[in-house]
Amino acid sequence: MSYFLVRRGIGFVLTLIAVSVVVFAVMNVLPGDPSLTILGIDSTEEARAALRERLGLDEPVVSRYLAWTFGALRGEFGTSYAFDVPVAELIAERLPMTLSLAISGMALTVVLALVLGIAAAARHGGPGDWAIMLFSQLGIAVPAFWLSMLLVLLFAVHLRWLPPGGFPGWGDPLAAARALVLPTVALALVQSAVLARVTRSSVLEVMRLDFVRTARASGLPRARVLWRHVLPNALVPIVTIVGLQFAGLVTGTIVIENVFYLPGLGRLLFQSIANRDLVTVQALVMLFAAIVVTANFLVDIAYLLIDPRLRGARA
Amino acid sequence: MIAARGLSIRTGAGHAAVRSADLAIRPGERLGVVGESGSGKTLLALAMIGMVPEGLQVSGEIAVGGTVVAPGDEAAWQRLRAREVAMIFQEPMSALNPLARVGDTIAEPLMVHRGLTRSAARAQARELLEETGIPQPERRLDQYPHELSGGQRQRVLIALALACDPALLIADEPTTALDAAVALRITDLLVRLARERRMALLFISHDLAAVARTTEAMLVMYGGDIVERGATDRVLADPAHPYTKGLIAARPSLAQRGRRRLPTIPGTVPPLEALAEGCRFAGRCPVELPRCVHLRPAATATASGSAACHLLGAAP
Amino acid sequence: MRVPFNLALGAALVALVLAVALVSLVWTPHPHAALDVANKFAPPSAVHWLGTDQLGRDLVSQLMVAARNSMAVAVLAVGIGCALGTGLGLLAAARGGWTEEAIMRLSDLGFAFPALLFAIMLAAVFGPSLPNVVIAIAFINIPTFARVSRAAANQVWRRDYVWAARAAGMGRFAISRDHILPNIAAPVIVQMTIEFAVAILVEAALSYLGLGAQPPNPSWGRMLSEAQTLMYLAPQLAIWPGLCIVTAVLGFSLLGDGLRDITDPRLTRVRAA
Repeated sequence: MSYFLVRRGIGFVLTLIAVSVVVFAVMNVLPGDPSLTILGIDSTEEARAALRERLGLDEPVVSRYLAWTFGALRGEFGTSYAFDVPVAELIAERLPMTLSLAISGMALTVVLALVLGIAAAARHGGPGDWAIMLFSQLGIAVPAFWLSMLLVLLFAVHLRWLPPGGFPGWGDPLAAARALVLPTVALALVQSAVLARVTRSSVLEVMRLDFVRTARASGLPRARVLWRHVLPNALVPIVTIVGLQFAGLVTGTIVIENVFYLPGLGRLLFQSIANRDLVTVQALVMLFAAIVVTANFLVDIAYLLIDPRLRGARA
Repeated sequence: MIAARGLSIRTGAGHAAVRSADLAIRPGERLGVVGESGSGKTLLALAMIGMVPEGLQVSGEIAVGGTVVAPGDEAAWQRLRAREVAMIFQEPMSALNPLARVGDTIAEPLMVHRGLTRSAARAQARELLEETGIPQPERRLDQYPHELSGGQRQRVLIALALACDPALLIADEPTTALDAAVALRITDLLVRLARERRMALLFISHDLAAVARTTEAMLVMYGGDIVERGATDRVLADPAHPYTKGLIAARPSLAQRGRRRLPTIPGTVPPLEALAEGCRFAGRCPVELPRCVHLRPAATATASGSAACHLLGAAP
Repeated sequence: MRVPFNLALGAALVALVLAVALVSLVWTPHPHAALDVANKFAPPSAVHWLGTDQLGRDLVSQLMVAARNSMAVAVLAVGIGCALGTGLGLLAAARGGWTEEAIMRLSDLGFAFPALLFAIMLAAVFGPSLPNVVIAIAFINIPTFARVSRAAANQVWRRDYVWAARAAGMGRFAISRDHILPNIAAPVIVQMTIEFAVAILVEAALSYLGLGAQPPNPSWGRMLSEAQTLMYLAPQLAIWPGLCIVTAVLGFSLLGDGLRDITDPRLTRVRAA
């Protein structure tokens, strides 16, 4: 469509390839003999040889890398050493949990941050602005897992409104939703603190630009100037941070799933580390990194939708 | 009829950026305001549309079409903007929303104030663009500001300002950011539009030639005071105030070119807090009297209008 | 010049945390790992200021040693990352051309790995330990500092006195050392302060997940993960380590904001407007 999109698209693919090389190298080349990592140093040489044979570790590194990548492109990530089932199956089973957590967390983050950030900018310098900035400064300093514990202490231990953790399964949608409330809030509160700050400063910056004065001189109501003129122009830095935050949110789900004992990809990642299931760990790390890279690529496309100046032949 | 009486604008520290200014603009009249930067001319213009920046205190009376509007009554001003008073600014490059199509920008006040449908507002936007003489008005509607030249953007801004048929158009240095040939076409366009629409024009500029070309009457401002006023051609031909004289003498003309050094007004405009309490020009004035520093001169009738200078009141 | 509020508060909090960490090297109220099972879950008293945990260990002593661990990880990791990253950034700005392009594309790659994910990967291969946490955080910091220092260095390279030094025959390396580095110190130091805050958070999260400090070495994050299993029994244990993390992170992030405000005139003007 445009030069900008083609350039970013090529960059996206190259980054994915580079990420896969790094993941593969760290997991397969750095440790020397992966079979030793998996079985431990007290394993017998026969057992290790058998495992190397089974995992194809005797092949040259390059052909192993190529086999892994092309398998991954077809949705095949090998067989889990610990569970003895295809890794793809494990992932498919856990993906809905992590995705619903990440998406609901992101949605709540964006809504909270936009409301607070715009409110703070509109009350620039007043007590409301001050309170929102205090919330934001604190939110940046509070670890999500500690906030989760405080929320559990209050809403599960003291008030007994919500379950402290665990997941009843998707069969009972109401119970499933109740189990996701605290994790979502814990994720979103922390993330929205940063985003609210960016929103506020971006809105304030745009409010000083000349075209805002033009809009006011056209007799447009204050709210209309804010929503139709200021906000779209303030979106570019906001979208950038949303993209970066999606990365934080995805890694955040790894932590949060472990706080609340939710059976998602993050929990699987930890079980796999405990089980020394390198095949599964490798697939999951690649998947998480790919989600982060994709989120950043989507941000680039969002720029294109927001800003007509990038849609031209060159930019 | 749009008028200001005793209009003063003070900074937070209490220094006067505009001192009790009076002005009135009749329908269809083209009034110029001349002064250096820091003379208060832009603040005066912003006060006439209720848009003096926050942190400055405005006092005095502004009447639009017979009703008095309090300077801080944002709701009242919002109803008057675009329909009674409209304004265009100095920087056409940044004065348009970069993310909105030109047609949508012009159509927006029509939809908000006149309740027009989207298609009706768009048709009107096309007519307005055509009236400003922009080439290919139909095509411009769907273009973004970055696709237009500076002169074209200023025409778009003029079309936007005209959208709701205002009684007064304020133009604050509308040609400063444009190159000379384009600037001439824009000032001529403003004159033509004011005539055709019986619209008053308040033309703010530091450029005497542009004011001469555009306006019938003019005000000269220095340090927040209106120091001289009158019919444009007569003030320029026979200035009474020492500042106006200096301003005109400092103007390069073709006849003088290369023959002698241009006379200049010595010094620069001092900051607000350093201005004299009496005549603002005291300290830079070549014919200063002792009382000028502390006593503010009243406006005195002159051959071309009036001027505020002690030399004119007493016999020299 | 008036000291901004965020700078003063940030500096005070950072000084407090650093002082506690330093004091813990020579003195803690009790040996931090001393068990006293008979005296477990003791309430705050003159002997145990904040009480004891499930094994009767003194809470204050553990928090102090944990502060030392947290600071050590942050200083080492950010220090290494800053040294390598700034070096690469200076090299990119000095050489330009394909060197610069290659360094910047590589640093793009670094942004694909959140610190937590990279640390998890290292822990999976080498086993969990504090040194792995340091390596992971340091590695993630390299591209950040490469970008910041390159952007700042490129501006300095355009200044007149650098042109003068080049005209006088000074080499690129000597110019980078004598003229560029001192002039990019301000943004690099601001970035370091902010990255300290991030490093403390990442260390806490990794230790909470069991991938950082191993017992009996105390860490705020690991203390919280132990407290979580005892939440119904002794909720107070879940409070103090969290407050310590917030104090340290808040201190560095306020200090970073304050330093940026006074060193970057553009931002200061924005705030004043």
